[in-house]
Amino acid sequence: MSKIGEAKILRVDLTKGETKEETLAPEMVKKYLGGRGLASKLLADEIDPGIDALSPENRLIFANGLLTGTNASTGGRYMVVTKGPLTGTIASSNSGGYFGAELRFAGYDMIVFQGKSEKPVYLQLMDGKAELKDASHVWGKKVDETTDILVEESGDERAKVSCIGPAGENQVLFASIMNDKNRAAGRTGVGAVMGSKNLKALVVRGDKSNFDYDKESLMKVVKKQTQILKDDGVTGEGLPTYGTKVLDNIINETGGYPTRNFQEATFEGTEEISGEALVEKGYLQKKKACYACPIACGRDTKLPSGRSGEGPEYETGWSFGAACGVNDLNAITEANYMCNELGLDTISAGATIAAAMELYEKGHIDREKLNNGPELKFGSSEAIVYYTKAMAYREGIGDDLALGSARLGEKYGMPGVSMAVKKQELPAYDPRALQGMALNYATSNRGGCHVRGYLVSPEVLGVPEKLDPQDLDSKPEWAKTYQDLTALIDSIGVCLFTSFALNADDYCELVNAVTDYDLSTDEFMEIGDRIYTLERQFNLEAGLTKADDTLPKRLLEEGIPDGPMKGKVAHLDKMLPKYYELRGWDENGVPTADTLNKLGLEVL
Amino acid sequence: MAIKVKLYSLFRKYIDDRQVELDYEENKTIRDLIKSLDDKYDSVFSQKLIGEDEAINPGAIILVNGQNIHHLDKLDTELKDGDILAIFPPSAGG
Ligand code: SF4
Repeated sequence: MSKIGEAKILRVDLTKGETKEETLAPEMVKKYLGGRGLASKLLADEIDPGIDALSPENRLIFANGLLTGTNASTGGRYMVVTKGPLTGTIASSNSGGYFGAELRFAGYDMIVFQGKSEKPVYLQLMDGKAELKDASHVWGKKVDETTDILVEESGDERAKVSCIGPAGENQVLFASIMNDKNRAAGRTGVGAVMGSKNLKALVVRGDKSNFDYDKESLMKVVKKQTQILKDDGVTGEGLPTYGTKVLDNIINETGGYPTRNFQEATFEGTEEISGEALVEKGYLQKKKACYACPIACGRDTKLPSGRSGEGPEYETGWSFGAACGVNDLNAITEANYMCNELGLDTISAGATIAAAMELYEKGHIDREKLNNGPELKFGSSEAIVYYTKAMAYREGIGDDLALGSARLGEKYGMPGVSMAVKKQELPAYDPRALQGMALNYATSNRGGCHVRGYLVSPEVLGVPEKLDPQDLDSKPEWAKTYQDLTALIDSIGVCLFTSFALNADDYCELVNAVTDYDLSTDEFMEIGDRIYTLERQFNLEAGLTKADDTLPKRLLEEGIPDGPMKGKVAHLDKMLPKYYELRGWDENGVPTADTLNKLGLEVL
Repeated sequence: MAIKVKLYSLFRKYIDDRQVELDYEENKTIRDLIKSLDDKYDSVFSQKLIGEDEAINPGAIILVNGQNIHHLDKLDTELKDGDILAIFPPSAGG
């Protein structure tokens, strides 16, 4: 029986091959809610942040949000939390689909893996029974095949699978964990940690009637919120019709669409690869929804070759598209399918190829180094497909690409080629065009990332209000608020996309409906602040410093060469001090004793 | 004066075209332009772009040469010969 507010954990010691159940203190749940917050607290308590992320000492935590598995709109999200191998920071990656809810029905809020199995194994969790099983027969197999085989083995076609592909097994530093075949806990290399533990998959089947919460009280709130989501232009019409790729033209037209590894900020081929093109070319088959989601932003697509799958989303369309100078939607979609099958983060995969293309064109990578592979030239459809596979299997130069753009740039003598923060590749918004995103990128606790505070919403979309993207004064406060709110959304287990229409009061109301916490919105927001500061402490303990809160030199010093934002650079230095101050961190970005005290955090 | 309007997202579903070219006498504002698009096609333009209080609808994006009219003169922004507009109904993020 799973109950909201009583976090039930399954601890799996892979070295010993043992599992055991634990329950967390309810006070701890109240302080961190679930998902990202609670799992980060557990990780910080259990490991030394200085360890090697790919060592057996690391933990790999699958954590449900407080509301995962309930009827809350989009309430099916789970998080994977660990120390990340790409960044060396705390890593947490969020995914939707149906796996998280099933885990709840199986009776657990969290699964904590520790140690390392001698042989490949998978965890099967069926009808209340946890079992580690041999995975030798699926080791080496792709995500879709693995999923089919393990569902069949479970004897219940309703079982849900979360697994790694060959990229995770080969410890590609940006390998993803995939659930329900196409949903990704994509970023920060969580899949490499899973591979380092010789853990191939989790197979879960539960019983919904085992999950107890105040359905009536929640339904009242959910009914109201579902209506808000349906009435809103973004969540009710834009996202369902065009998915996230409706952004391609918006970001390109506003002059912040990073092109050819951020050498330019508008892409001449956008029309060919945009969300509109996906519909006009007939690739889009139907929209797809995650558990309890009324929005359905997912895209089932099919290529002229007959091959089908999910995607591309906005970020993926960009990383293999504009970032690599490729205007071939067919090749971009193919590269996306391959990332899903091989278990690669699409953003880092595409952006690393983009960096390699710049290195090649500038003479830092020789033709011989590519063996018989296609030339790494901007615009090459062949290259994006070929090197995606090469990096997953670590073949030829793929072995260097598998380490991400930062390590690649260092190895080939041009560190500045890497468009990354804390060694994680930046996503699809040029921070020179959006100063709030510049601050967010630099201060994201998991490295270059757009979902740690999506200031694109006010800076470009005008939601909830329109901010001038070049204004600096207002951004530190917006960044902090968005970062804290996102930490909360990731901890309660709903989708970030709901935040186009819902606000902090709405999320707080959801939490109060299923608990006796009776939180005010301010108290609720303070939990977000606590989570963010805890993650920061972890990173400082892991050896990061203020010097890591920065952006690639290109974005700080070289003005955008083209488009409506021509000449703009990112003005981090004018925002960072104020941001630290608002957070209650000292001038070195270290939380002060007063701040820790106020938030109920300990000095690590 | 010649004005080009690029249509995106749901507007393409309604209009079935990627862009329209309009010819105007001088002294026209964005508000006038939206009204004339309504007349020419369908009142979907003001429905999507202008909110109840005659202001820009939250989430709608109107760019003049890449600059959001929120930071110009809003709906009263004056048009010049050769201006290129891009208009998006409230859409989304990613
Ligand atoms: S909005 Fe999209 S990503 Fe979010 S829960 Fe719904 S379908 Fe999944």
